[in-house]
Amino acid sequence: MTENFKYLSPQWRDEAERRLKSELPPERMNFVTSSMSNIYKNCPDGSEKFLYFKFEDGKFAEMLIGKGESPKPEFAVTGDYETFAKITRGELNAQKALMTMKLKLKGNMVKALRLASLSDRLNKVLATIPTDY
Amino acid sequence: MTNPINDPYFIDFHQRIKNIQAQMQKENIDVYLGSRLRTISWTTDAFFPWRSYIVIPPEGLPTAFTFVIDAARAADDSWLGEDHVYGFAPMGGQDQIEQISDFIKDILPTGKGRVGIESGMSNYLPEGWLTHYEYQQFDAALSDCELVNAHTIIDKLALIKDTGTINRFKEASRIVDIGHQAVFDAIKNGGYKGMTETEIAGIAALAMRRAGSEWEWSFTGGNEIASGYRTGYAGGACTPASRREIQAGEPLMVDIHSTFKLGLGDHAHNYLIGPATDRQRWHADNFVSIVKKTLETYRAGITPSLLAEQMMDFSEQGGFADYMVPGYEHGIGLLGDEWRIGLNDGPFPFWTNPDHVYQENEVLICAMQYACPDENIGFRYENPIVLYNDHCEEMSKYPLAIEEIT
Repeated sequence: MTENFKYLSPQWRDEAERRLKSELPPERMNFVTSSMSNIYKNCPDGSEKFLYFKFEDGKFAEMLIGKGESPKPEFAVTGDYETFAKITRGELNAQKALMTMKLKLKGNMVKALRLASLSDRLNKVLATIPTDY
Repeated sequence: MTNPINDPYFIDFHQRIKNIQAQMQKENIDVYLGSRLRTISWTTDAFFPWRSYIVIPPEGLPTAFTFVIDAARAADDSWLGEDHVYGFAPMGGQDQIEQISDFIKDILPTGKGRVGIESGMSNYLPEGWLTHYEYQQFDAALSDCELVNAHTIIDKLALIKDTGTINRFKEASRIVDIGHQAVFDAIKNGGYKGMTETEIAGIAALAMRRAGSEWEWSFTGGNEIASGYRTGYAGGACTPASRREIQAGEPLMVDIHSTFKLGLGDHAHNYLIGPATDRQRWHADNFVSIVKKTLETYRAGITPSLLAEQMMDFSEQGGFADYMVPGYEHGIGLLGDEWRIGLNDGPFPFWTNPDHVYQENEVLICAMQYACPDENIGFRYENPIVLYNDHCEEMSKYPLAIEEIT
């Protein structure tokens, strides 16, 4: 039986990095250079956390998890921990979450539109990680 | 932006923005939130047909905001590029109020400051003043800021036209003349028979588009064509083409519009579809004579009221004052700036100040209307003119006349 990882734990982060590097080569990421941060409000321990990704020329460059303020990303998506958890579990569509204001995007929407499919690919990889929320 | 040495249509938008920022500093405005079409055209050099805004920080480049479906195109057309044209949409954090107010808060180090807005009224529907609802929403979202009306900053700076702007108007006018030639070629020698006003509008549009015009910009109906009694409406300043067929023995008014890099062509030319009566010819000659007189009179230093007084005297002497609509111009600038002359400093707020003293390199539309509804006849003249100290230059060079078409 596969061991589950605690969502947003250091072990989950390492597993996410391993999977992203192996499953999303630069060509799958359209050689994009960008950065994005998910800002998790109302985490189970009451804190606010962030999950920061950076891609350079499509290569996975950086992934950080932390409390408090995230490094400044090109796009920031803010929402409740539970909303992100539902998206990762496939129970909620990210676009619907944005359209119902469960998530808030900050950044240039025109650029975000071009990156929507890449974000979707990334989320799909993360969704494959056996996770306890 | 192109090189001013190689490009006659070059406008120094960087300097334009710096000039706005200098004026903002003088007026203690920390951020300028523009919403009028004229402001957006004048600062972005692109066509923004959807509800749009521009945020001008105290220094650095401005950022435009528009409906997301058109933002990429607008960014491509604008000198600002995609980093400074944002799209808004009904999504969390991306609706126009939240997106723009967040953007403004990021500009203000303490989140506090004075935000210049554009509030007022206009006869011109697409003006784009901030609505009451928008004002309330921005006021709430920027609760630590003071919103102050600041449109005069743009109005003052946009009054005198630079060479690139004037050249864009000249090119748009050259294109309009091609449209007029195409109409004349189509209606002469009986070509008008069976033709409708809408068809004439289309003939002009095709010729102008072939010559490079981007669109027939006027909100009054694109190319305005009137025939017969429709030329003689009292006031007579708006005649979107109808399905009416052109008839022998009637007047025909052709008022066509072109766009070149947001510069606007706007020239009205008139015909008598033969056979014309002596009375029709008399009306036509009256109109041509007063247009000539008006163009000879326009120059820097005069005022709208002074010019109107002289022209009404002229028409009184000629015995046709009853048919003259007592207005001789309307304002014009890059797309979206099409109404009032000068600044908002007249006796009636947001109308032309009749005592506005014209200055060199102001551009306006010499716009005149002759209307005799009782005889089903009228004429219109419009032509962008640039004012100099001792004369004006008509940008459309199409010969002034009212020809009889057989």
